[in-house]
Amino acid sequence: MLDRVSHEELMRYLDGESTPDERDRVERALETSTELRRELTVFKSMKDDLQTLKLGAGDGNGRYSVWHAVSRQLSRPLAWVLIVVGSLAWAVHGIYVYLTAPIFLWEKLATSAIVIGILILFATVVWERYRASLTDPYRDIQR
Amino acid sequence: MGPEVERELVRKCKAGDSRFYEPLVRAYEKPGLRLALGMLGNVEDARDALQGAFVKAFEAMARFDLRRPFGPWFFQILRNQCRDQLRSRKARFQLEVLDERLELRPADPETGPERRRERARARELLWEGLARIGEEHREILVLKELQGFRYGEIASILQIPEGTVASRLYHARRALREALQELGAELP
Repeated sequence: MLDRVSHEELMRYLDGESTPDERDRVERALETSTELRRELTVFKSMKDDLQTLKLGAGDGNGRYSVWHAVSRQLSRPLAWVLIVVGSLAWAVHGIYVYLTAPIFLWEKLATSAIVIGILILFATVVWERYRASLTDPYRDIQR
Repeated sequence: MGPEVERELVRKCKAGDSRFYEPLVRAYEKPGLRLALGMLGNVEDARDALQGAFVKAFEAMARFDLRRPFGPWFFQILRNQCRDQLRSRKARFQLEVLDERLELRPADPETGPERRRERARARELLWEGLARIGEEHREILVLKELQGFRYGEIASILQIPEGTVASRLYHARRALREALQELGAELP
Protein backbone atom coordinates (compact mmCIF):
# COMPACT_ATOMS: atom_id res chain seq x y z
CA MET A 1 0.00 0.00 0.00
CA LEU A 2 1.36 3.41 -0.93
CA ASP A 3 -0.49 6.18 0.91
CA ARG A 4 -3.89 4.48 0.68
CA VAL A 5 -3.35 3.64 -2.98
CA SER A 6 -2.75 -0.02 -3.62
CA HIS A 7 -0.10 -1.30 -6.02
CA GLU A 8 -2.88 -2.58 -8.27
CA GLU A 9 -4.58 0.84 -8.37
CA LEU A 10 -1.28 2.48 -9.25
CA MET A 11 -0.74 -0.01 -12.11
CA ARG A 12 -4.25 0.51 -13.46
CA TYR A 13 -3.69 4.29 -13.33
CA LEU A 14 -0.36 3.99 -15.14
CA ASP A 15 -1.88 1.75 -17.82
CA GLY A 16 -5.03 3.84 -18.30
CA GLU A 17 -7.31 1.11 -16.94
CA SER A 18 -8.65 2.96 -13.87
CA THR A 19 -12.28 3.78 -13.26
CA PRO A 20 -12.95 7.56 -12.90
CA ASP A 21 -13.26 7.21 -9.10
CA GLU A 22 -10.04 5.26 -8.85
CA ARG A 23 -8.25 7.80 -11.04
CA ASP A 24 -9.37 10.68 -8.79
CA ARG A 25 -8.20 8.80 -5.70
CA VAL A 26 -4.77 8.09 -7.21
CA GLU A 27 -4.39 11.70 -8.36
CA ARG A 28 -5.24 13.00 -4.90
CA ALA A 29 -2.69 10.63 -3.38
CA LEU A 30 -0.08 11.74 -5.93
CA GLU A 31 -0.53 15.36 -4.85
CA THR A 32 0.41 14.53 -1.28
CA SER A 33 2.95 11.71 -1.59
CA THR A 34 6.45 12.27 -2.94
CA GLU A 35 7.21 8.57 -2.64
CA LEU A 36 4.20 7.67 -4.77
CA ARG A 37 5.11 10.31 -7.39
CA ARG A 38 8.67 8.97 -7.56
CA GLU A 39 7.47 5.40 -7.96
CA LEU A 40 5.05 6.40 -10.70
CA THR A 41 7.76 8.40 -12.52
CA VAL A 42 10.13 5.41 -12.54
CA PHE A 43 7.42 3.03 -13.78
CA LYS A 44 6.30 5.53 -16.40
CA SER A 45 9.86 5.93 -17.66
CA MET A 46 10.34 2.14 -17.90
CA LYS A 47 7.01 1.79 -19.65
CA ASP A 48 7.97 4.41 -22.26
CA ASP A 49 11.35 2.76 -22.82
CA LEU A 50 9.84 -0.71 -23.13
CA GLN A 51 7.45 0.56 -25.75
CA THR A 52 10.39 1.61 -27.92
CA LEU A 53 11.40 -2.06 -28.15
CA LYS A 54 9.04 -2.63 -31.00
CA LEU A 55 9.91 -4.85 -33.90
CA GLY A 56 10.21 -3.36 -37.32
CA ALA A 57 7.75 -4.47 -40.00
CA GLY A 58 7.91 -8.26 -40.30
CA ASP A 59 11.20 -8.89 -38.55
CA GLY A 60 12.99 -5.97 -40.07
CA ASN A 61 12.48 -6.63 -43.74
CA GLY A 62 8.76 -7.39 -44.07
CA ARG A 63 9.38 -10.44 -46.30
CA TYR A 64 9.62 -13.29 -43.82
CA SER A 65 6.53 -15.44 -43.28
CA VAL A 66 6.14 -18.69 -41.37
CA TRP A 67 3.20 -19.69 -43.55
CA HIS A 68 5.19 -21.88 -45.95
CA ALA A 69 6.81 -23.82 -43.11
CA VAL A 70 3.45 -24.18 -41.34
CA SER A 71 1.75 -25.27 -44.55
CA ARG A 72 4.43 -27.91 -45.15
CA GLN A 73 3.96 -29.29 -41.65
CA LEU A 74 0.19 -29.37 -42.02
CA SER A 75 0.25 -31.19 -45.34
CA ARG A 76 2.95 -33.73 -44.38
CA PRO A 77 0.79 -36.06 -42.23
CA LEU A 78 -1.78 -36.31 -45.04
CA ALA A 79 0.99 -37.12 -47.53
CA TRP A 80 2.32 -39.89 -45.26
CA VAL A 81 -1.16 -41.37 -44.81
CA LEU A 82 -1.65 -41.44 -48.59
CA ILE A 83 1.76 -43.02 -49.21
CA VAL A 84 1.23 -45.69 -46.54
CA VAL A 85 -2.32 -46.53 -47.73
CA GLY A 86 -1.20 -46.72 -51.37
CA SER A 87 1.87 -48.83 -50.52
CA LEU A 88 -0.20 -51.25 -48.44
CA ALA A 89 -2.73 -51.66 -51.25
CA TRP A 90 0.07 -52.43 -53.73
CA ALA A 91 1.78 -54.79 -51.27
CA VAL A 92 -1.42 -56.80 -50.70
CA HIS A 93 -2.11 -56.97 -54.41
CA GLY A 94 1.53 -57.96 -55.14
CA ILE A 95 1.47 -60.75 -52.56
CA TYR A 96 -1.80 -62.08 -54.00
CA VAL A 97 -0.42 -62.02 -57.57
CA TYR A 98 2.84 -63.62 -56.40
CA LEU A 99 1.13 -66.43 -54.48
CA THR A 100 -1.27 -67.27 -57.31
CA ALA A 101 1.37 -67.00 -60.08
CA PRO A 102 1.88 -70.26 -62.09
CA ILE A 103 5.60 -70.69 -61.22
CA PHE A 104 7.62 -73.42 -59.48
CA LEU A 105 7.54 -73.62 -55.69
CA TRP A 106 11.34 -73.27 -55.41
CA GLU A 107 11.15 -69.97 -57.35
CA LYS A 108 8.58 -68.65 -54.88
CA LEU A 109 10.66 -69.79 -51.90
CA ALA A 110 13.88 -68.28 -53.25
CA THR A 111 12.22 -64.96 -54.05
CA SER A 112 10.51 -64.93 -50.65
CA ALA A 113 13.85 -65.55 -48.91
CA ILE A 114 15.47 -62.58 -50.73
CA VAL A 115 12.56 -60.25 -49.97
CA ILE A 116 12.37 -61.31 -46.30
CA GLY A 117 16.15 -60.89 -45.95
CA ILE A 118 16.01 -57.34 -47.36
CA LEU A 119 13.10 -56.47 -45.05
CA ILE A 120 14.98 -57.81 -41.99
CA LEU A 121 18.08 -55.77 -42.92
CA PHE A 122 15.98 -52.63 -43.43
CA ALA A 123 14.13 -53.12 -40.11
CA THR A 124 17.43 -53.69 -38.26
CA VAL A 125 18.98 -50.49 -39.65
CA VAL A 126 15.87 -48.45 -38.77
CA TRP A 127 15.80 -49.91 -35.24
CA GLU A 128 19.50 -49.16 -34.69
CA ARG A 129 19.12 -45.60 -35.93
CA TYR A 130 16.13 -45.12 -33.64
CA ARG A 131 18.04 -46.48 -30.61
CA ALA A 132 21.03 -44.26 -31.41
CA SER A 133 18.85 -41.15 -31.76
CA LEU A 134 17.56 -41.60 -28.19
CA THR A 135 21.03 -41.13 -26.75
CA ASP A 136 22.55 -38.83 -29.39
CA PRO A 137 23.89 -35.73 -27.55
CA TYR A 138 23.82 -33.73 -30.80
CA ARG A 139 20.25 -34.55 -31.82
CA ASP A 140 18.99 -31.00 -31.09
CA ILE A 141 21.69 -29.34 -33.15
CA GLN A 142 20.28 -28.13 -36.43
CA ARG A 143 22.19 -29.35 -39.44
CA MET B 1 -9.37 -8.54 -40.75
CA GLY B 2 -12.87 -8.12 -39.35
CA PRO B 3 -14.22 -10.45 -36.66
CA GLU B 4 -16.85 -11.90 -39.04
CA VAL B 5 -14.24 -12.77 -41.69
CA GLU B 6 -11.99 -14.22 -39.00
CA ARG B 7 -14.82 -16.37 -37.62
CA GLU B 8 -15.62 -17.64 -41.09
CA LEU B 9 -11.98 -18.55 -41.72
CA VAL B 10 -11.80 -20.35 -38.39
CA ARG B 11 -15.02 -22.20 -39.22
CA LYS B 12 -13.48 -23.46 -42.49
CA CYS B 13 -10.27 -24.44 -40.69
CA LYS B 14 -12.30 -26.34 -38.09
CA ALA B 15 -13.60 -28.40 -40.99
CA GLY B 16 -9.96 -29.31 -41.69
CA ASP B 17 -9.36 -27.15 -44.75
CA SER B 18 -5.87 -25.70 -44.28
CA ARG B 19 -6.17 -23.41 -47.33
CA PHE B 20 -8.20 -21.01 -45.19
CA TYR B 21 -5.52 -20.97 -42.51
CA GLU B 22 -3.09 -18.80 -44.49
CA PRO B 23 -4.86 -15.44 -43.91
CA LEU B 24 -5.04 -16.21 -40.19
CA VAL B 25 -1.35 -17.08 -40.06
CA ARG B 26 -0.41 -13.93 -41.94
CA ALA B 27 -2.61 -11.77 -39.70
CA TYR B 28 -1.18 -13.11 -36.46
CA GLU B 29 2.44 -13.86 -37.30
CA LYS B 30 3.76 -10.36 -36.72
CA PRO B 31 2.32 -9.83 -33.22
CA GLY B 32 3.08 -13.49 -32.55
CA LEU B 33 6.74 -13.03 -33.46
CA ARG B 34 6.92 -9.99 -31.19
CA LEU B 35 5.51 -11.98 -28.28
CA ALA B 36 7.80 -14.96 -28.90
CA LEU B 37 10.83 -12.72 -29.34
CA GLY B 38 10.06 -10.94 -26.10
CA MET B 39 9.78 -14.25 -24.29
CA LEU B 40 12.70 -16.06 -25.89
CA GLY B 41 15.09 -13.22 -26.72
CA ASN B 42 16.24 -14.35 -30.15
CA VAL B 43 14.65 -14.50 -33.56
CA GLU B 44 15.59 -18.10 -34.40
CA ASP B 45 13.87 -19.60 -31.35
CA ALA B 46 10.99 -17.14 -31.71
CA ARG B 47 10.33 -18.34 -35.27
CA ASP B 48 10.46 -21.99 -34.16
CA ALA B 49 7.97 -21.29 -31.38
CA LEU B 50 5.69 -19.35 -33.70
CA GLN B 51 5.70 -22.10 -36.30
CA GLY B 52 5.02 -24.76 -33.68
CA ALA B 53 2.20 -22.73 -32.18
CA PHE B 54 0.47 -22.26 -35.55
CA VAL B 55 0.65 -26.01 -36.22
CA LYS B 56 -0.68 -26.82 -32.74
CA ALA B 57 -3.46 -24.24 -33.09
CA PHE B 58 -4.60 -25.80 -36.38
CA GLU B 59 -4.51 -29.29 -34.88
CA ALA B 60 -6.54 -28.09 -31.88
CA MET B 61 -8.99 -26.12 -34.03
CA ALA B 62 -11.69 -28.79 -33.69
CA ARG B 63 -11.91 -27.96 -29.99
CA PHE B 64 -11.97 -24.18 -30.54
CA ASP B 65 -15.13 -22.42 -29.41
CA LEU B 66 -16.31 -20.20 -32.28
CA ARG B 67 -17.89 -17.72 -29.87
CA ARG B 68 -14.41 -16.75 -28.66
CA PRO B 69 -11.99 -14.54 -30.61
CA PHE B 70 -9.12 -16.41 -32.26
CA GLY B 71 -6.34 -14.00 -31.16
CA PRO B 72 -6.21 -14.53 -27.38
CA TRP B 73 -6.65 -18.29 -27.88
CA PHE B 74 -3.74 -18.39 -30.31
CA PHE B 75 -1.51 -16.23 -28.09
CA GLN B 76 -2.26 -18.60 -25.21
CA ILE B 77 -0.99 -21.52 -27.32
CA LEU B 78 2.04 -19.49 -28.38
CA ARG B 79 2.83 -18.50 -24.82
CA ASN B 80 2.68 -22.18 -23.76
CA GLN B 81 4.88 -23.12 -26.71
CA CYS B 82 7.48 -20.52 -25.65
CA ARG B 83 7.39 -21.79 -22.08
CA ASP B 84 7.81 -25.39 -23.25
CA GLN B 85 10.75 -24.34 -25.40
CA LEU B 86 12.35 -22.50 -22.51
CA ARG B 87 12.02 -25.60 -20.36
CA SER B 88 13.35 -27.96 -22.97
CA ARG B 89 17.01 -28.14 -23.92
CA LYS B 90 16.23 -26.48 -27.21
CA ALA B 91 16.02 -22.88 -26.10
CA ARG B 92 16.67 -20.49 -23.30
CA PHE B 93 16.22 -16.77 -23.05
CA GLN B 94 19.21 -15.88 -25.14
CA LEU B 95 19.91 -12.33 -26.04
CA GLU B 96 21.24 -11.47 -29.43
CA VAL B 97 22.01 -8.19 -31.07
CA LEU B 98 18.55 -7.09 -31.93
CA ASP B 99 19.09 -3.45 -32.63
CA GLU B 100 19.12 -3.71 -36.39
CA ARG B 101 15.78 -5.48 -36.16
CA LEU B 102 14.31 -2.90 -33.83
CA GLU B 103 13.16 0.52 -34.63
CA LEU B 104 12.27 3.55 -32.62
CA ARG B 105 8.78 4.87 -32.77
CA PRO B 106 8.30 6.67 -36.08
CA ALA B 107 7.68 9.99 -34.36
CA ASP B 108 10.97 9.86 -32.47
CA PRO B 109 12.70 13.15 -33.21
CA GLU B 110 16.04 12.12 -31.66
CA THR B 111 18.29 11.90 -34.63
CA GLY B 112 21.67 13.08 -33.29
CA PRO B 113 24.36 10.36 -33.23
CA GLU B 114 25.10 10.88 -29.52
CA ARG B 115 21.44 10.65 -28.59
CA ARG B 116 20.98 7.62 -30.83
CA ARG B 117 23.88 5.86 -29.11
CA GLU B 118 22.35 6.64 -25.72
CA ARG B 119 18.99 5.29 -26.81
CA ALA B 120 20.62 2.16 -28.24
CA ARG B 121 22.44 1.61 -24.94
CA ALA B 122 19.19 2.14 -23.02
CA ARG B 123 17.45 -0.45 -25.20
CA GLU B 124 20.31 -2.88 -24.71
CA LEU B 125 20.02 -2.45 -20.94
CA LEU B 126 16.29 -3.06 -21.16
CA TRP B 127 16.82 -6.35 -23.00
CA GLU B 128 19.43 -7.34 -20.44
CA GLY B 129 17.02 -6.40 -17.68
CA LEU B 130 14.28 -8.49 -19.29
CA ALA B 131 16.69 -11.40 -19.54
CA ARG B 132 17.41 -11.19 -15.82
CA ILE B 133 13.86 -11.18 -14.51
CA GLY B 134 11.88 -14.42 -14.29
CA GLU B 135 9.87 -15.91 -17.10
CA GLU B 136 6.56 -15.00 -15.44
CA HIS B 137 7.55 -11.35 -15.02
CA ARG B 138 8.89 -11.15 -18.54
CA GLU B 139 5.83 -12.56 -20.24
CA ILE B 140 3.41 -10.14 -18.61
CA LEU B 141 5.62 -7.14 -19.47
CA VAL B 142 5.91 -8.32 -23.06
CA LEU B 143 2.14 -8.74 -23.33
CA LYS B 144 1.51 -5.30 -21.86
CA GLU B 145 4.28 -3.13 -23.26
CA LEU B 146 5.47 -4.78 -26.44
CA GLN B 147 2.08 -6.11 -27.51
CA GLY B 148 -0.05 -3.37 -25.98
CA PHE B 149 -2.78 -5.73 -24.76
CA ARG B 150 -5.41 -4.49 -22.32
CA TYR B 151 -5.79 -6.15 -18.91
CA GLY B 152 -8.80 -8.21 -20.05
CA GLU B 153 -6.87 -9.65 -22.99
CA ILE B 154 -3.83 -10.43 -20.83
CA ALA B 155 -6.07 -12.18 -18.31
CA SER B 156 -7.55 -14.31 -21.06
CA ILE B 157 -4.14 -15.23 -22.54
CA LEU B 158 -2.56 -16.05 -19.19
CA GLN B 159 -5.79 -17.60 -17.86
CA ILE B 160 -5.73 -15.59 -14.66
CA PRO B 161 -8.38 -13.30 -13.11
CA GLU B 162 -8.31 -9.75 -14.45
CA GLY B 163 -7.62 -8.45 -10.94
CA THR B 164 -4.40 -10.45 -10.79
CA VAL B 165 -3.01 -8.78 -13.92
CA ALA B 166 -2.36 -5.45 -12.13
CA SER B 167 -0.71 -7.19 -9.22
CA ARG B 168 1.55 -9.29 -11.48
CA LEU B 169 2.45 -6.21 -13.48
CA TYR B 170 3.47 -4.39 -10.32
CA HIS B 171 5.79 -7.19 -9.26
CA ALA B 172 7.19 -7.53 -12.79
CA ARG B 173 7.91 -3.81 -13.00
CA ARG B 174 9.58 -3.83 -9.61
CA ALA B 175 11.72 -6.80 -10.66
CA LEU B 176 12.71 -4.99 -13.85
CA ARG B 177 13.51 -1.82 -11.93
CA GLU B 178 15.79 -3.77 -9.59
CA ALA B 179 17.45 -5.55 -12.51
CA LEU B 180 18.07 -2.23 -14.26
CA GLN B 181 19.50 -0.71 -11.11
CA GLU B 182 21.88 -3.67 -10.77
CA LEU B 183 22.93 -3.12 -14.37
CA GLY B 184 23.71 0.50 -13.56
CA ALA B 185 20.90 2.04 -15.59
CA GLU B 186 19.98 5.61 -14.74
CA LEU B 187 16.38 5.78 -13.64
CA PRO B 188 14.56 9.02 -12.86
